[in-house]
Amino acid sequence: MDKTLLLEAQIREHTGSKAAARVRKQGQIPGIVYGHKQDPVAILLNAHDFSEGLHHGHRLMDITVGGKTEKMIVKELQYDHLGRNIVHVDLMRVDVTEAVRVSVPIELKGTAKGTHEGGIVEQHASQLEIECLVTNMPESIVVSVKELGVGQAIHAGEVALPEGVTLVSPPEMLLAACHVVAAAKTTEELEAETPVAPEVIGEKKEEPAESGE
Amino acid sequence: MAMMPKRVKYRKSQRGRMKGNATRSNYVAFGEYGLQVLEMSWITAKNIEAGRVAATHFLHREGKVYIRVFPSKPVSSKPLETRMGKGKGEPEFWVARVRPGQVCFEVGGVTEEVAREALARVAHKMPIRCRFVRRRHAV
Repeated sequence: MDKTLLLEAQIREHTGSKAAARVRKQGQIPGIVYGHKQDPVAILLNAHDFSEGLHHGHRLMDITVGGKTEKMIVKELQYDHLGRNIVHVDLMRVDVTEAVRVSVPIELKGTAKGTHEGGIVEQHASQLEIECLVTNMPESIVVSVKELGVGQAIHAGEVALPEGVTLVSPPEMLLAACHVVAAAKTTEELEAETPVAPEVIGEKKEEPAESGE
Repeated sequence: MAMMPKRVKYRKSQRGRMKGNATRSNYVAFGEYGLQVLEMSWITAKNIEAGRVAATHFLHREGKVYIRVFPSKPVSSKPLETRMGKGKGEPEFWVARVRPGQVCFEVGGVTEEVAREALARVAHKMPIRCRFVRRRHAV
C-alpha cells in the first residue's frame, strides 16, 4: 500500500465514557496509540478526516501526536450499535522495515466459467490474513474467478499474492466456490415439511389406546 | 407454518420485555450486503417467509439470501367469543425478537444495485423500519 495519510491527533487528557461521549459530539473520535514498547497514549482524531481516509483505503497513517509524527496502522475499529459511526480506534506504531500481520479484503474479479453453466459463485471468506512489510501492504487481494467451473473452489493457498506478502490464514481456507443453486422452496413445500407443532422436550407422548377385541 | 423450532422445552412463553440495542448479529457477516433493523419489534415467521420469497423471487437463482433471524418465541391467543379465564390460550404463531441494529437478512454474490432492490423488497415485508448496510472495513 503506497498510500499514507497525514493526520493530526491531540493527546486526550480526560478518559472515561462520559468524556469520550462529549468529544464524539464535537466531531472527534477517541483512540489509543500503542506499540514499540512505549507507553500507550490516549488520543483524539478528527472523525471526518479519519473516516474519509478509511473509505479511501488508507490503513497506514502518519499521525502527529504531541509534535512527533509516527507511522501507525489501524489495528481495531469500534462502531456504534448501528455500525454508522466509529466510536473508538486502536492505532499501532509501526516501522517501515517492520513486518506486520494484517487482514485485507478479498476482491473477486471476473465472471466464472461455471456461471454460464447455471452455477453461482459464492464467496465464503471476505478477508485474508497476511504478513508483509508495512510499505508493501496491499489494499486488497484480487482473486480471479474466471477459470472457476461448477463444483470447483478456490482456497487461500491457491491465491497468487503480491511480492513480499506471505499468507498467514490456513492455506486450506475456502475463499470462493461455484455451484448450482437448487430452486428455492415454495412456502407450500416448506409448510409440508414442517410439523404443525414442535416436539416438547420431556413431554410424554400419548400412546394410542389398544383396540379391545 | 414456515419457520419454527423442531423441539422446545416449553410450549408456551410469557411475553417478556425488550430493551437496549443488538449487541450481536449487528454487522454483515455472511453476504456482502444486509438489511438492518432500526426498531425494537417482534418479527413473525410469516414476515420472515414473505421476505424470503420476495428476495428469492427477485434474484432468480442469482446470488444467495441469508436469513439471520429465527422465530423461537411462541405467541398464544384465545379463541374468539371465549370468556376470560380457563387458562392461557394455545400457541398461534412464532416470532423472532429483534432489537435495533440486528441484521435480519443478507445477500451475497450480486451487485450492489441488485442487492439494494432485493433488500428493499424484503424491507417492505417487515413490520418495522430497516436500512441497507454494507460490510464493515477490514482492518
